[in-house]
Amino acid sequence: MTEAFFVTAAELAYRGFDDLPRELDSSKHMIYSSPATLDFNSPGAKGFGVKRAGLVIPGSVMLLIAPGCCGRNTALLSDLGYDERFFYLMLDDTDIVTGRYVNKIPKACEELLAELDYTPSVIMLCCTCVDALLGTDMERVCRACYDKTGVKAAPAYMYALTREKRLPPMGLVRKSIYSLLEPQKRISNECSILGFFSALEDNNEIYALLQSAGIRKIHEIGRCETFEEYKEISRANFSIVLNSEARAAAQDMQERLGIPFIELTRMYRLDKIHNQYRLLGEAIGAAFDDSVYFESAKAVIESFKEKHGEVVFAVGESLNADSFELALALCEYGFKVREIYGTVGERNFVFVKKLAEISPETRVYSNLSPTMMNYQPDPCIQAAIGADACYYHKGIVGVEFNSEAQPFGYRGIELLFSQLDKALGERGEAYV
Amino acid sequence: MKKLLKHISPLAPDDSGACSVLYEMGGITVICDAGGCAGNVCGFDEPRWFEKRSALFSAGLRDMDAILGRDDMLVKKLSLITEQIDAPFTAIVGTPVPAVIATDLKALERMSEKKTGLPCIALKTDGTRLYDYGEELAYYRLFDRFAEYKLPVKKGRLGVLGATPLNIGETDSKRLKAALSDKWEDVVCFGMDSGLDDVKRVSQCERLLVIAPSGLKAARLINERFNTPYDVGFPMTDELPGIYDKKILIIHQQFYANALREHYESCGCDVTVGSFFMMIPEYMKANDIHITEEDELIELALNGGFDVILADERFRLMLKGFGGSFIDLRHFAVGGRLNLG
Repeated sequence: MTEAFFVTAAELAYRGFDDLPRELDSSKHMIYSSPATLDFNSPGAKGFGVKRAGLVIPGSVMLLIAPGCCGRNTALLSDLGYDERFFYLMLDDTDIVTGRYVNKIPKACEELLAELDYTPSVIMLCCTCVDALLGTDMERVCRACYDKTGVKAAPAYMYALTREKRLPPMGLVRKSIYSLLEPQKRISNECSILGFFSALEDNNEIYALLQSAGIRKIHEIGRCETFEEYKEISRANFSIVLNSEARAAAQDMQERLGIPFIELTRMYRLDKIHNQYRLLGEAIGAAFDDSVYFESAKAVIESFKEKHGEVVFAVGESLNADSFELALALCEYGFKVREIYGTVGERNFVFVKKLAEISPETRVYSNLSPTMMNYQPDPCIQAAIGADACYYHKGIVGVEFNSEAQPFGYRGIELLFSQLDKALGERGEAYV
Repeated sequence: MKKLLKHISPLAPDDSGACSVLYEMGGITVICDAGGCAGNVCGFDEPRWFEKRSALFSAGLRDMDAILGRDDMLVKKLSLITEQIDAPFTAIVGTPVPAVIATDLKALERMSEKKTGLPCIALKTDGTRLYDYGEELAYYRLFDRFAEYKLPVKKGRLGVLGATPLNIGETDSKRLKAALSDKWEDVVCFGMDSGLDDVKRVSQCERLLVIAPSGLKAARLINERFNTPYDVGFPMTDELPGIYDKKILIIHQQFYANALREHYESCGCDVTVGSFFMMIPEYMKANDIHITEEDELIELALNGGFDVILADERFRLMLKGFGGSFIDLRHFAVGGRLNLG
């Protein structure tokens, strides 16, 4: 039985992105359903998959057009109150070969509308690998549904087969959910934040910083309670993209609605956060004074370190952060990161290289590698961050750090360290 | 409209059923999918996933693998994994992707055996059928392939077929074995706390007990091959709600529902059994019904004159107009909740 495969940050950096070990290249091996894999492949009560994401438009309903196996886990969303918003057109073996069901979709929409005592804002048509392979023209199907029912329809592509494409399912669904916005007069002191399906955590400094620059209304889809509020998003003078998976949606909004966008990245290194805010200020013609937030976050880190010492962490990827950037930040703050469970990509390889300089022995594991079923926790690790890391290290302190209220910027740092402080405090484990 | 679900979410599919039978067999099971089907199995339909380790993986197919029919890639990946994990056999479980592109699973089976040197069983599930179909297929193929030799019968040894979480709402066989312990010294629940060795030694069983329709085909095979007699039934593991002299509709997997019928008929009740899953004709009574659509259940519940319906809570959603009593009867393959009571 092979032990769980890992490679050190130093070796990984030395090999380079073009020479990743086979176990870190998911196209070359079978996929292990680790908690992190499940987060992507079967998001249920926590997190947003295509199905739940498609329903963030207020007043929307979804028709899932698929074999039963694709909609099975939707039952997990019942507790969140989605029961009455999901409908299913089940495909049989003849359907999936002939594609004959496509003509039935408008009729199914008509029947589901008859079941409701309100008119939904939109019917999201969720399609799966079957339609990816059959090449179903979903835009055309949506138009046929609209013609039949008078209610708009939009596609939600749950194409697991294309998850490594330029526009993966979670990018496509973001594009879809903003596709119903229509051009209207833009208002100079309004902007929108794109990237997440839920809103930023309420106390995020970005709200105050934007207000200090004269922005009076910040639109976020996660805060829209009515379809009218959703439609107001297209009044934004500009969009701020906080997650690269929303880039295609922002580009589409730029082309269709004339709303330009600025892209920021969620990071946990103080200096980088400061630099991003400086660049954002320059882009919108404002000089942000973020010193209060900078100092506050810095103080939180220092206080944590003073109290708990050089904690040794394991960092996963089922969390609101890029595993490698967060690991790099922790190492730069003087902590140790013994292990990372993450997916190495072209975009975050830059963090791997920097990590290799200051923590060359950090072990990098792939959650997707079949060898992870043989993973044995390293007793040196004192705290785990991320739902997957907590799963691998059940016996030690851990924070999942994957709440729906999204952390960002300095506030993200404060939230992380306060959660860690609380978790370590509850166990009475200070390592000084 | 047929096949339109307006009230409930989809029931456990055939690929989940196949994986459920294979889960504790000790082999390497590969779900031939892009990731979503394996996610549904491990993240929902297989409650043992976070309790008991199993070499259950997704093939991680990508669009070009499917379009170009790269079966050799799949076999290569399977071969790699057999170098990393010790296993006595491999299994490939079908999903909608191989069904759409018409993958020759039989050929895949032969290619895999040649490459890995291990026996392989490829199961032609496609995610459009229900879990019991996948279970039936998996049980049958396992016993057909691995139960080859007749061994001396061990007095007092009972083999149970159909013990999967999807059928019985349990992740281990403790309660089932406890319920059978007064009559049997040695109970083996195939696929639950037991692996491939017990499948190979099935001929040692004095009798078989089939507790769900999905196990029946395999039981008949074993009976034919080794003359092992089998019974159909379900040992009661839970206390049942007291219902007397009522007209009852029970919705569950057929053999559990039949066992409940026996109990409630002894309480003076008139019982009808219905199921969205397999209904084996010889174990049905005159009014029993195989339900295929939501509307059929609504019609039956509203116009059947029942005082009480025992069914999974998920069905309550569609039976809002039912005027009698609704009693929750958990069925993991419906609502994804453990325990039967």
